[in-house]
Amino acid sequence: MEQRLGNSYRMTINEKKFIEQALVSDLRVDGRRPFDYRRLTIKFGSEDGSSEVQLGQTHVMAFVTSQLVQPYRDRPNEGALSIFIEFSPMADPSFEAGRPGEFAVELGRIIDRGLRESRAVDTESLCVLAGKLVWAIRVDLHILDNGGNLVDAANVAALAALLTFRRPECTVGGEDGQEVIVHPPEVKEPHPLIIHHLPVAISFAFFGNGNIVVIDPSHKEEAVMGGRMTATMNTSGDVCAVQKAGGEGVLHSVVMQCLRIASLKAADITSKIKNAVETYNTERALKKVKRHSSLVAVEVDGPETKLK
Amino acid sequence: MGEKPLSSSSSSSSSSLVDQIVVAGDVILDLSNITNQTLKLGPGLRQDGDAISVMKAGRLRFSKPNKYWVESSEKRYVPCVEDTILGIVVDCKPDNFLVDIKGPMLAFLPVLAFEGGTRRNIPKFEIGTLLYLRVVKANSNMNPELSCTDASGKASGFGPLKDGYMFESTTGLSRMLLSSPTCPVLEALGKKLSFEIAVGLNGRVWVNASAPETVILVANAIMNAETLSWAQQRIMVDKLMKRIQ
Repeated sequence: MEQRLGNSYRMTINEKKFIEQALVSDLRVDGRRPFDYRRLTIKFGSEDGSSEVQLGQTHVMAFVTSQLVQPYRDRPNEGALSIFIEFSPMADPSFEAGRPGEFAVELGRIIDRGLRESRAVDTESLCVLAGKLVWAIRVDLHILDNGGNLVDAANVAALAALLTFRRPECTVGGEDGQEVIVHPPEVKEPHPLIIHHLPVAISFAFFGNGNIVVIDPSHKEEAVMGGRMTATMNTSGDVCAVQKAGGEGVLHSVVMQCLRIASLKAADITSKIKNAVETYNTERALKKVKRHSSLVAVEVDGPETKLK
Repeated sequence: MGEKPLSSSSSSSSSSLVDQIVVAGDVILDLSNITNQTLKLGPGLRQDGDAISVMKAGRLRFSKPNKYWVESSEKRYVPCVEDTILGIVVDCKPDNFLVDIKGPMLAFLPVLAFEGGTRRNIPKFEIGTLLYLRVVKANSNMNPELSCTDASGKASGFGPLKDGYMFESTTGLSRMLLSSPTCPVLEALGKKLSFEIAVGLNGRVWVNASAPETVILVANAIMNAETLSWAQQRIMVDKLMKRIQ
């Protein structure tokens, strides 16, 4: 029992009262205004399809891998996209290793819904042999530090990783035309995925019976908030998914206001992701260029150095 | 602190690494060339035969005449007797309050450990109350024991903290805030603003002021000051003051 008490996050009455009081006068404990987003940094790993996203204190890492599998019966010519979330107890003592908690499942579902049901990733182009072989894309998200608003950070990490991921090129050949050859990346340049649009999740927290709305709640605000809502939107203003699970009810007008703000923020974040991916791609291309190191050794230690 | 009586021959006993950054495995003293002297080793140090070696990363400190310890900045607190800390009430038991002190175990606060505490006037604390406390017992493998009085049984500031805002940082920041002379961030902020502050050695800091803006400003300035040098702290506070005027 004591172990459990030791692991849960505790908030003092003082903090709760202060956060609520300060929000009444539009102040947030980290000095932001209600509709300020925290600093978002996107970094990439050395391999294609890995990303690391930091949103304030929140830290999420994403890896994308692919595998050839048999397609589902009802969709013989569509590849699969699946999202797995790993909550490390290092990120937050309240996360238990191994067993995904209620929040982990919800988080996975929000991202899954935003990406898959809005058909952001073109799954038909992942088909190799209809009914026989398709590519299954797996996105692994690792929560490294929980500083609040995991949904948005994890979503950005997943997008960034998917944008930089490249699946191996494969050709169909053989006598019966049914043999699949997967070419290693050194032989044939791997293919990037086809991504139609970027659904960006933007979270809001509600306080004081839904009268106070803030964007991108921090860990402490999440502990105090009465309800939350996540809107997944893209740059063209389409609402891809909305998640409002329990908590305080909010007015229709508040939801509409949130969606308007979300579409602005989504455009902002999309451009950030695109810039980061572009820099990564140019760096990647530069790495491919092979430069010969100069073969002429110059003797510099002698006084009678001569350059030929 | 464990005392190690040493009997070897040489003159100097001070380590060349004092006030330097040390890491686990560093040998700070070689006992084979030290005179008949007693050394007191604090946290982070241990004796391996004739060598005093370091067990954790941090800054090596020395206090005359013979005390050595390693000071590091941690998010977790290891209780030590006579430290003043900030704790959160987690549970109320008939004999003890269970208090979270960011340590490896929950600490016990006996219900009688208050000024003039008797069985008749046991204080009532809601779960989540923030308390300013003193560590009375800190033995390994035992829950630490706390008290809301000073050594002479007076309340002298200990007890529940009302209102205000509490944030968690590291033990290093707390030590910096409590150091003397007063660290520049507190001094500079205190010249312009009026606020109350309580610093616990376990890395919790409580701030209160009449206006919530002041509390937020002070809290964030302190949190940012952790990695800054003294000159940088002054510059940061000056910039902040200009911005709010």
